Amino acid sequence: MIKNPSHPKKGHLKTKECKFTKAGFEYIDYKNVDTLNRFINDQGKILPRRVTGTSARHQRQLSTAVKRARFMALIPYVSENLR
Amino acid sequence: MKKQFYELTYIINPVLDDEKFKETVDYVNDLITSNGGEIDEVDEWGLRSFAYEIDGKSNGYYVNMYFDAPADLIEKAERSMRINDDILRYLTLKYDAKMKRHLELRRKGEPPTIFDEEIEEEDSDDDN
Repeated sequence: MIKNPSHPKKGHLKTKECKFTKAGFEYIDYKNVDTLNRFINDQGKILPRRVTGTSARHQRQLSTAVKRARFMALIPYVSENLR
Repeated sequence: MKKQFYELTYIINPVLDDEKFKETVDYVNDLITSNGGEIDEVDEWGLRSFAYEIDGKSNGYYVNMYFDAPADLIEKAERSMRINDDILRYLTLKYDAKMKRHLELRRKGEPPTIFDEEIEEEDSDDDN
């Protein structure tokens, strides 16, 4: 990653790995609300890849799944306490 | 015509009683079988509260089903469901090979899961 030995972030950076790839997901189901809830923040927004470390393929699937779940009122578009 | 595998989830108006729920489920099942579809599984989730209000209602009767059908059935079925006032929402998905494999795993009771140890990792990530 960072080759410079005096870089301030060296040793602090963790290599993130995609949780979906690790668990062997082939398809992210919109009905799996518990899993989706871990990838949205308290406002109901989808967390970015740079925070969760999700792979690009799974992030695309995740965003579709979250949007489908929102449409079926399984998870909120905007959190209740913010409305 | 070539048949495809579909998943359909719909929400029935919660104001109705059990008899009317059953009637609506039968109505949708009939819609599929009478147009040349084959029902694979019907799973009624029952009353479930919404994450936000739909038409001033805070809960609804969810039904999730899987079926094989020719492509032109979907258009017909969706049109009838749109006209039906008892159905608040519906979502139809065409299944591809990956989605079918996922469904089979889920039916066997071993869907891929994100493990608990990883939740803690996620929490510590947020602090940084």
